[in-house]
Amino acid sequence: MYQKDETTEKDNELADFADRMIKGRIAPPASASDEELFGLEKTLLRLNDTFPPVTLDDAKSKQMLVRLKARMRREEEEQAAKPSFWKRLFDLQSNPQVGLLIAAAAVVLLVIINLPSVDPSGNSVTGTAFPGTNLFTALGLIGVLLIFYWISRRK
Amino acid sequence: MTTNYMQNTLIPLQDTSDEILIQKYMDGSKEAFDVLYHRHLPKVYKRVRYVVPENDVEDVTQEIFIAALKSLSSFRGDAKFGTWLRTLTNHKVAEFYRRRTRKQEPRLAPLSDAVAQVTGSTSQSLEERIFLQRALQNLPENYREIILLRFAEDMQFNEIAELTNQNLEATKSLFRRAVTALRNHLEK
Repeated sequence: MYQKDETTEKDNELADFADRMIKGRIAPPASASDEELFGLEKTLLRLNDTFPPVTLDDAKSKQMLVRLKARMRREEEEQAAKPSFWKRLFDLQSNPQVGLLIAAAAVVLLVIINLPSVDPSGNSVTGTAFPGTNLFTALGLIGVLLIFYWISRRK
Repeated sequence: MTTNYMQNTLIPLQDTSDEILIQKYMDGSKEAFDVLYHRHLPKVYKRVRYVVPENDVEDVTQEIFIAALKSLSSFRGDAKFGTWLRTLTNHKVAEFYRRRTRKQEPRLAPLSDAVAQVTGSTSQSLEERIFLQRALQNLPENYREIILLRFAEDMQFNEIAELTNQNLEATKSLFRRAVTALRNHLEK
């Protein structure tokens, strides 16, 4: 009980010291009788001396706001001037690998669509091009190719 | 007529709550953001000043407000705007140090290097400042936070208690533990 009171008292004393110090009404560390408190008060003084209170004057605040707005405007202009992702993607002159990728995907798609499917029981099925499962496989493959392209362009 | 219009639209903005200012900004009022900016700039600036090298304080402060502007639409008002901005500030400060580390510029560069970059302050006070900033950065978040709330933001202990949902006694106790930890870091 006594220890708790003592701890609370130290908490209050240090908090009061901080309050006085911030208000600029400070004497040197007051708690010389208590070594721990004395050390903590010295730490606070050191902090306060190193970071003396500053006030941002009106001119500086305004100047910072002007700079902020100029930067926002610049960013908005850059954003507006930038072509959209899809436009950049299908700009085949500056992005020839996309053209190659689309061509490769088309070839793969055609090959897969035209492959006759094989029955799991072993009977080959002739004349059944364009089966549904192959179409899904083709779309899946194209999807994988696009994902690879997407991953590689982000590096 | 114009004067009345200005009185009706501009002067009340100064007395308007943050949340209403945000709403006005979302509705297209640029002045609303200006008021919000001037209202919160001093606190953000002072907080950044405690944890970021002197040369970078303005830039980091600007980054914070740019991020705030860009994400104001996502502010739903679950917390106070000041609390939201404080979280954003801490996030941006952490990002500043991450970016420095990525640029192969160690976060804890030799003091002499840091001192050499800055002019205007005496090297001794600058070294002390960097030393204290490092100690603050190395504190656990709740310790650093209470010191910054009291010193950088000049909040009273009862206000801090209210903000952190603690009683006054617990807040002062946390403050003493925080200062003890800071002293221990400085003595290392």
